[in-house]
Amino acid sequence: MVKVSLRNITKRFGKVVAADHITLDIQDGEFFTFLGPSGCGKTTTLRLIAGLEVPDEGRVYFDDVDVTDWPSYRRGVGMVFQNYALWPHMTVFDNVAYGLKIRKVPQSEIKSKVKEVLELVRLEGLENRYPHQLSGGQQQRVALARALVVEPKLLLLDEPLSNLDAKLRIEMREELKELQKRLGITTIYVTHDQEEAMVLSDRIAIMNNGRVEQVGTPQEVYRRPSNLFVATFIGRTSVLEGVVTAIGDFVEVKISDIKVKGVAINEVSVGDKVYVVLRPHDFSTRKEEEEVNIFEGVVEWMAFTGGLLEARIGISGGKILVTLDDEVPASMGKKLRVFVPWRNVIILKA
Amino acid sequence: MISKSRLREVKKSLDPLIAFQYIFSYFYLILFLLLPIATIIRQAFLYNGAFSLHWFQKVFSDPDFFSLSPRGGMFFELHGDTMYIWGIDHGYILNSLIVAATVTISASIIGVIAALIIARYDFPGKNVFRILILIPMLATPFVNAYVIGKFFQPRGGLLNFIFYDVLHILPWRIDVNGLAGIALAQTLAFYPIVYLNVLASLMTMDPTMEEQAESLGAGGFKLFRTITLPLSMPGLAAGATIVFIFSLEDLGAPIGFIGYSGNPLARRVMSVYVFDDFAAAVTGAISPITSAIAVILVTFAVTGFLAIKKYVTLKTYATLSKGGRWKPRTRKLGFKGMALVYPFFILLILSASIPQIGVVILALTDWAISGLAPKSITFEYISRLFTDPNVVRAISNSLLYSGAAVLLAVILGSCSTYVIARSKLPGTDALDSLLTMPIAVPGIVVAVGYFLFFTGFFRGTILDPLVDPALLLIFAYSVRRLPFTARSVFAGLQGVHESLEEVATTLGATRFKSFFDIVIPLIAANVIGGGILTFVYSMSEVSTSVTLGALREDRGPITFYISQVIYGTAAVGTVSVAAALCLLLITVQVIALAVSNYILKQRVAFLGI
Repeated sequence: MVKVSLRNITKRFGKVVAADHITLDIQDGEFFTFLGPSGCGKTTTLRLIAGLEVPDEGRVYFDDVDVTDWPSYRRGVGMVFQNYALWPHMTVFDNVAYGLKIRKVPQSEIKSKVKEVLELVRLEGLENRYPHQLSGGQQQRVALARALVVEPKLLLLDEPLSNLDAKLRIEMREELKELQKRLGITTIYVTHDQEEAMVLSDRIAIMNNGRVEQVGTPQEVYRRPSNLFVATFIGRTSVLEGVVTAIGDFVEVKISDIKVKGVAINEVSVGDKVYVVLRPHDFSTRKEEEEVNIFEGVVEWMAFTGGLLEARIGISGGKILVTLDDEVPASMGKKLRVFVPWRNVIILKA
Repeated sequence: MISKSRLREVKKSLDPLIAFQYIFSYFYLILFLLLPIATIIRQAFLYNGAFSLHWFQKVFSDPDFFSLSPRGGMFFELHGDTMYIWGIDHGYILNSLIVAATVTISASIIGVIAALIIARYDFPGKNVFRILILIPMLATPFVNAYVIGKFFQPRGGLLNFIFYDVLHILPWRIDVNGLAGIALAQTLAFYPIVYLNVLASLMTMDPTMEEQAESLGAGGFKLFRTITLPLSMPGLAAGATIVFIFSLEDLGAPIGFIGYSGNPLARRVMSVYVFDDFAAAVTGAISPITSAIAVILVTFAVTGFLAIKKYVTLKTYATLSKGGRWKPRTRKLGFKGMALVYPFFILLILSASIPQIGVVILALTDWAISGLAPKSITFEYISRLFTDPNVVRAISNSLLYSGAAVLLAVILGSCSTYVIARSKLPGTDALDSLLTMPIAVPGIVVAVGYFLFFTGFFRGTILDPLVDPALLLIFAYSVRRLPFTARSVFAGLQGVHESLEEVATTLGATRFKSFFDIVIPLIAANVIGGGILTFVYSMSEVSTSVTLGALREDRGPITFYISQVIYGTAAVGTVSVAAALCLLLITVQVIALAVSNYILKQRVAFLGI
């Protein structure tokens, strides 16, 4: 297994900067995810690690060995592409065996290894099928088997689940996680699906416009987003603007005529303009001891989403989205009072 | 900084495979396309050892080449009981342009109408018409014009006999010959090119485009003019321009008319001028005037080509030819519509198939010597294909050249398109243009260029056409239809997602290995399709075959033999042998069509358009 280090990696396509001075370390055995909206440069970064693209600047290290100038075929990575890239003119067996044949593994050993890996991904018995005779989920597993059979130091997965239907996606997600833990292989994953990233990853790098906005565990990026982009990209949020009025164990912010207490992520001082980030799930109708973090307003829109009530409330400083117990008595056009615990209120410097 | 990173990119692209393909493609196209043309240009602009417009001034001041006032000819002139439609002589240059423009316009009108009907209407027998309408594409070099001449002959011609002598429908006998004859023969031969290109545009057009316009109130001709026609412009522009270029370079129709009737006006086009001068080249030189004419020919063709370049380069072609997932809009044709459509198609197909029908009759009967109508069936001429040593030699020459050309074209086509599709090397766009350029270079110009360049720089070697034209014919064949061969391979590459190769490289395969393990098996059908295309084309290629091929009689291919017969160097009656050879070419084409269509599932391959 291998530790991957990116140092100042930059890649431009014409005027578009797909990777903008990316520096980070991916630990041995880690499940690491690049998460971001489409076009943010996450796939490019993965391709730079695979050796399929050459960086304009910066270096790529595998276990402190500089591999920047190594062609892809020398890097010994296993990769699964978004479209699986199964060779349509080869059977499942030939697809999976290809990497072994390249490595000149003896025929008998190829047979046993392919058998083994197909069992691992639960595809035994399908050796002689052609890709077009397989379901999407099966194709995805063949692609995975083909990458794993060569026992790569590093597994690269480019949105491998995005072409599957929702139910299968969740199943495969669990299988993938379990497999990765079992094999202990360093895995780099690319996705735009934040839930997928949260479930799978040890750590997540959130990317936007070619830059890494934040690297952290799922909890960190959710609870302590380092900027507004991360805060709004991960999970659903309401963002209000306010001014810092006091600093203590917590930070006190005034939004219009509402006083809000929360946790500042960055250094702020009294008088600073700040964003107050609120997550819908953190709201409740239970009253807090202090007379802070109370929001009251008219319900402008509401919907039931199976056991929960979603509502948008117009308050003096803007609008907030809340998710409440569906037994809460609320109705359109009526006033509603909600509270949020100060530890869950994120305050970001504007 | 940028250049450094660009350098890295280039370095990554330059693995041994790409490097070889890149160098080979450029080497081949420079040696067998650019340099020969450059040599013509050099000779045309050189006078007394210095750059000069002398030869062009000479050409344009000579009314024999360029004359705004008419220099004789007959256009709808009645003499006695015969209406002469020969055309008016304005000198070689203007004659060629007038004929090409006439052919382009009339072929476009016929092609668009036919394509619209086929693409948008359903009626019984449509699929039969769809096939029959392509008959003119079957190769009948030289013999086509000969047959048309025979049909229109004022006395003894079948058409005049039926409509004047027997039915008395026509008020006079009609004699279509000379420039008008060339225009007619070319229109009938080339309209399927426009038809096919426009049809392709119409079939790949998103039907919602028209439906949206209809929902907004556009219908009938308004819909056609505002939506349908503009959206099929790429096909029409490409088809029309190819027709224009084909007409300019065509030797078959003029030589056919010259051979049949010796009509002086049939000689008065640029391609024949170059051809005639080439005949004198056996003595070792081509006059600078011919080079100047060749430069003028290329200039016209290239001008036309540049106008449509954006439609025909590989990369744009690929985006144009995508789609077609939807079912094109068709409507059932009503009774009134059928009353118009059936006569249109029947008349069109009958008149356009005259050459092919004539070829079959000539080859299988005594028509060539029997006068008005054939009297008996004979297999004598067919058997000559296997017994006459001259004919056998011509056939085996053609087979040898075409086979070798296929090999080269396929290698060149795969190499160059792969570089264009996959590498980020500088010069790939130029390579794309270079690959497409042969469309715009008349074959007769290729012949002159090869002659000047290879006799000039390779005198006495195996590449000297005066020593042996065989190799040059092979190279000419491989280059001349390269745009279409390359397009077939490129279409295949478009269907091979790059990730299929990338995943192989992540598994340890070099580019070389993944090219042969992954790419080649996946584009095999396209490569074979491209190869078939080159083969069919090479077998029936005219321009270089009858010029370079003439330099050594024992090296002449099929079309050279046919031209000899039609041009009058062979004895009477052997025109039937020429027809038998055409029948052989047609057979090759039909088999190729069947293979492409039913085995490779590629519809476009054999036509090369």
